[in-house]
Amino acid sequence: MTGAYTEEPPAGRIAIAGGAIRLGGGAAAFEVVRDIDLAIPPRQFVCLLGPSGCGKSTLLGALAGHLALARGSLALDGEPVAGPHPERGIVFQQHTLLPWRRVLDNVAFGPKMRGVPRAERLAQAREFLALVGLADFADRYPSELSGGMQQRVEIARVLINQPRVLLMDEPFGALDAQTRLMMQEVLLDIWTRLPTTVVFVTHDIDEALFLGDRVLVMSARPGRILEDIPLAFPRPRGRDLVTDPDFVALKRRCLDLLRPRDGRPPLPRLTPLGLPLAGAA
Amino acid sequence: MSANAAAARRRYWILAVLSPLTLLALWALVTAQGLATPMILPSPLAVLASLGDMVGHGYSGVDLATHVLASLRRVGIAFCGGALLGTVLGLLRGRVAEIDALFLVPSELVRPIPPLGLIPLFILWFGIGEASKILLIFLSVFLIAMVNAQAGARACSLDALRAARSMGASRVQAFRFVVLPSALPQIMTGLRVAMGTALTILVAAELLGGDRGLGFLILDASSFFRTTYVFAGIVLVGLIGLASDRAIALLGRRIVHWEGKR
Ligand SMILES: Nc1ncnc2c1ncn2[C@@H]1O[C@H](COP(=O)(O)OP(=O)(O)O)[C@@H](O)[C@H]1O
Ligand SMILES: [Mg+2]
Repeated sequence: MTGAYTEEPPAGRIAIAGGAIRLGGGAAAFEVVRDIDLAIPPRQFVCLLGPSGCGKSTLLGALAGHLALARGSLALDGEPVAGPHPERGIVFQQHTLLPWRRVLDNVAFGPKMRGVPRAERLAQAREFLALVGLADFADRYPSELSGGMQQRVEIARVLINQPRVLLMDEPFGALDAQTRLMMQEVLLDIWTRLPTTVVFVTHDIDEALFLGDRVLVMSARPGRILEDIPLAFPRPRGRDLVTDPDFVALKRRCLDLLRPRDGRPPLPRLTPLGLPLAGAA
Repeated sequence: MSANAAAARRRYWILAVLSPLTLLALWALVTAQGLATPMILPSPLAVLASLGDMVGHGYSGVDLATHVLASLRRVGIAFCGGALLGTVLGLLRGRVAEIDALFLVPSELVRPIPPLGLIPLFILWFGIGEASKILLIFLSVFLIAMVNAQAGARACSLDALRAARSMGASRVQAFRFVVLPSALPQIMTGLRVAMGTALTILVAAELLGGDRGLGFLILDASSFFRTTYVFAGIVLVGLIGLASDRAIALLGRRIVHWEGKR
């Protein structure tokens, strides 16, 4: 652990029981996720894996306190979650840095909202910028940074609030493959030094298996947790993990789980001339 | 700046200066050729002479500066008031559904009415003094500023708002530090449009009686067929419009320094 956290924050234990979330209003309202029962111990790195549209962002939104549960309970360290709070920081796929503020001021946003004096919050911000390896970019504007750097700043401005839980919604989804791999290692490196529970949403199986202590695989609508897979790969993890036979076996398992299985026959193959002919196999 | 960008910039300014000079030359040519009677289109030099006469001797017993200042005062008060109130209300409408609901029908009822159509009503209500003139300009500026601020208030993404709230910003802080700055580009554009409209309404508003102001000057001169004075007045209004537009644009670029770099 670095000196970045001034004091050990309380645990970061997440508990959801019988959770369901409804979206849309009136007659169009529907249950996006349901029957969520989940216990995440402090400091665990959990990956939420599922097909697009299955409700991963929705579930994360509930954890952040932006969406309310329709049924069930959701608690952090025994306290019910009611509304957003800096103890549960969130990073989105598209950065939300303020383009009119320097990188340093962006990182100092949270302390500023809490009324921390300027000199003090800028000093803190420098510390967290250094933590994500961007000490030299404090005076730049977000538009002058690459996509990967912008996400690192985003991580720094969340961590400066010393959250007990770090929520990430496909944070590297918009990055190129190379940067994405690099960012995964950066994130693991930061996480090992901070006492934070992480819930990381992704639809990339490799990413989930490489990062997590545990992968929760979700089904397509209505979103439910299909399987809870513990990952025992030792840390620190290297890139060669992806060729490990155990990794490959789990990857196959995840692929199976994510394959659409709603009773419909597989789609017919297209003929070279377009749509399949009626009656043709 | 690269050599290429410098060349592009130079080209921009050459064109920006050449275009009005060409128009002026065309104007001079048409009048010199006698293609239009001076009553309809006086020569640029005749207009300049009238302008000089007014600078020296005023118009209808009043200093030219007094005319200009009277107009600037009306536009200035109405513009500042309308811009401020319209922007505040527009931002609130963009973010608070109840406030939007309150103002939706009244403002959309008033917005399509041409301000000039309101002149008789304003005379009835507020008389023919300063109040009528200022309120008429105020109303147009207010409506334009409100529409633009409202659209601007919706420019920031839901994620950006949620991120701010998750970093500890209260609703008011999120409004102040995220919504407002995101809306600034559109607010500044709205203010430019509003300033143009304000000057248009000014000339018409000065129809409402009174004995000073550039609108009065233009209308008075035209009723006596003093076309060169009409043109001189129009030129002055145009110059004020150009100067105020450039000032707002420059201010906008200062305030909204991040625009176009995202
Ligand atoms: N505000 C909303 N109102 C109604 N439906 C929504 C809303 N937001 C998302 N949805 C729907 O809920 C489902 C889950 O969305 P989301 O949680 O974003 O999925 P994921 O992040 O797994 O791709 C999708 O089918 C989406 O269309
Ligand atoms: Mg999503």
